[in-house]
Amino acid sequence: MGTLLVGSIVVLVVVMIIRNMIKDKKAGKSIQCSCGCGHCPSQCHHE
Amino acid sequence: MIKIALAGNPNCGKTTLFNALTGSNQFVGNWPGVTVEKKEGKLKGHKDAVIMDLPGIYSLSPYTLEEVVARNYLINEKPDVILNIIDGTNIERNLYLSTQLMELGIPVIIAVNMMDIVKKSGDQIYIDRLSEKLGCEVVEISALKGEGIKEAADRAVWLAQQNKKTPAVHHFQSEVETILNRIEDKLGSQIPNEQKRFFAIKLLEKDDKIVTLMNVVPNVEDEIKEIEDMMDDDTESIITNERYLYISSIIDECCKKNSKGKLTVSDRIDHVVTNRFLALPIFALVMILVYVVSVTTVGGWATDWANDGVFGDGWHLFSIGTTDYENAVEEYDRAEQILVAFDEGEDVAQIMDEEENVTETVTLNDSVVSKANEIAEAGEPDPSEFGVWVPGIPGILESGLDALNCADWLKGLILDGIVAGVGAVLGFVPQMLVLFLFLAFLEACGYMARVAFIMDRIFRKFGLSGKSFIPMLIGTGCGVPGIMASRTIENDRDRKMTIMTTTFIPCSAKLPIIALISGALFHGAWWVAPSAYFVGIAAIICSGIMLKKTKMFAGDPAPFVMELPAYHMPTVSNVLRSMWERGWSFIKKAGTIILLSTIFVWFTSYFGWIDGQFRMLDAMELDHSILASIGNAIAWIFTPLGWGDWKSAVAAITGLVAKENVVGTFGILFGFSEVAENGTEIWTMLAASMTAAAAYSFLVFNLLCAPCFAAMGAIKREMNNAKWFWFAVGYQTVLAYAVALCVYQFATFFTTGAFGIGTMIALVITAGFLFLLCRPYKESQRLNVSSVMSSK
Repeated sequence: MGTLLVGSIVVLVVVMIIRNMIKDKKAGKSIQCSCGCGHCPSQCHHE
Repeated sequence: MIKIALAGNPNCGKTTLFNALTGSNQFVGNWPGVTVEKKEGKLKGHKDAVIMDLPGIYSLSPYTLEEVVARNYLINEKPDVILNIIDGTNIERNLYLSTQLMELGIPVIIAVNMMDIVKKSGDQIYIDRLSEKLGCEVVEISALKGEGIKEAADRAVWLAQQNKKTPAVHHFQSEVETILNRIEDKLGSQIPNEQKRFFAIKLLEKDDKIVTLMNVVPNVEDEIKEIEDMMDDDTESIITNERYLYISSIIDECCKKNSKGKLTVSDRIDHVVTNRFLALPIFALVMILVYVVSVTTVGGWATDWANDGVFGDGWHLFSIGTTDYENAVEEYDRAEQILVAFDEGEDVAQIMDEEENVTETVTLNDSVVSKANEIAEAGEPDPSEFGVWVPGIPGILESGLDALNCADWLKGLILDGIVAGVGAVLGFVPQMLVLFLFLAFLEACGYMARVAFIMDRIFRKFGLSGKSFIPMLIGTGCGVPGIMASRTIENDRDRKMTIMTTTFIPCSAKLPIIALISGALFHGAWWVAPSAYFVGIAAIICSGIMLKKTKMFAGDPAPFVMELPAYHMPTVSNVLRSMWERGWSFIKKAGTIILLSTIFVWFTSYFGWIDGQFRMLDAMELDHSILASIGNAIAWIFTPLGWGDWKSAVAAITGLVAKENVVGTFGILFGFSEVAENGTEIWTMLAASMTAAAAYSFLVFNLLCAPCFAAMGAIKREMNNAKWFWFAVGYQTVLAYAVALCVYQFATFFTTGAFGIGTMIALVITAGFLFLLCRPYKESQRLNVSSVMSSK
């Protein structure tokens, strides 16, 4: 039961991360860049 | 929707005003060229108005890519109003752009910024008279203090609603006006009437980029020849001189300077920090101090707490009881070692202090043994008995997972995978925050702009200008914006070379690698972290020298003209915000791409085939894992570099996804979560896997080799050519390999005296390097333009 519960949470977290990354990618944001959108001199990351 | 364009010279405060008017958090740097793309935001308090922050430009005759972006927006998108920000402390140069903006046929409102500084220096700008002379609305503001900005925005919205074009009140002398009228007639109906004057002036100036905005380009050669013969000058100079004569007449009537001829505080500071002989030593000293404090001292202490406490066993609140607990643990370990020696029938016990790396010899007698028995029987000291004990994340999670009776594989995934990998990366956040704090201060106060000027002297010697240093400066945060910032470089060859070399400067993602190697292999030696920064600069300089001598990059150095902003004390909130934004971005990355990577690394390193059976492995069987098989297949490549074991090889490869992964992978492969109980064991495990020479070679390779995929994507975009992209990535990787090989082979030779085939290869590579560095230029250095320092 514990394994199922914790495993589900881990899967949920991973799915959410992947979903957000796809969303960011579609919005033109880099999924790996660590400059911070505020520091980006380009338009692709603006919020 | 009302569109307001923020236009002005570089570093006049556009982004500060943009942030204040829209509530955005765009980065504000105290040097020109921070913004290279337009950015849009909604105007606070006006639902139907958007503001466009344009890159800074000196004129509407663009030379660089970001200047083209600004001009094309103004001409093609036709905003409803232009809010022209001008720096009140340098009004003459700023008005040069204003005179051109007013020719675009768009309503213009001028906001004179930094009025607080103007007033403080005792200077005066008569706003009403300026408005009258320029024929447009003029308001005074202080973007930094938020004074007058709302009024300026409200006025801009009102002007847009009125749709009243700003008439160009400036007229050139009659001969020029006659020629302009003739060109305007030739433009026909393809250009809107309100833009005809602007296009006519640009055609007269022989602006080659303006033709890309026209369907039909009229022949104006006769007009150009006629006016050039008449005025004995080229048309661009004629127009420029006319504009400055007009601006001078305005300045005479509208401004009163109190400080003419006096040296400002900025000038006095610059006499020292940009001094021909002192500039470089001061810069080196500043950077050494920044890295030593960030990585070794203040940042190091904080990271120790994060690694040993938060992601380790736990910590005592406010450190109350820590010393007593550590003494008790030491006593307990000592007692255990004495009892082991006694049980083995020894007369003396060799007590090892691993932290201090010393051995103490204790003669065993009854009293020593009985005391040791007493301590051992009392049991291992409980930290909660010495103060308020806060358990670390792995401990809390382990208890929770045990309570839920989780399967071992899931416990392994969470503790040995996610916590070990992400925890190893997050453990370095305190060091990064301290580094970001320093860099934010140096950037905001204006010192980093001087560094570009200082570096120009060195860069110029091998054909690059100090302008190439700006992307490197931005690259200390992240290589991606650094690469993008290379757009400010006009010369295409120099721009390409800057793109190729920008990522040599250690970015924030490489800091954990530097800190790990410094702490694990060099016991926190002060010189390791600053040396990583200087290795980056040396790689840039040497690459510049070598590449500039090739046909692809040969050419004279481009002139470097940069306006040095006045020094000012940055606001605490700005510095802290800049630090936090970068730090938070790093933390978010650890929670996304790094977390996913750790799951992949954990799975591939904790599963494998043993005796033909695929199963989960324990920590002692990792050599049979999938990752080990992959690592072993490529590890031989790195053997000449001193770290040919599979763990280091896969760590370097996972670094291509994100550089933080190098540390995350080490965290998993060296069992971070399990061994960090006494805080320092992870360092010991890693230190045992490679020599100091190999560790420095590993550091150099990871600093110089191809950057992460995000930065590689930026290189591809900015190069806009597949061949150039592969050349850039190939050059970085080959250079990193060659330098790392030389570092390892020479360091091993000088420390152990071992001379082998690797040493010989290193000698050949060094000879090759020296040849490429010293061979003469094929093209002469004819350009004598020196950098111009136009300090206020």
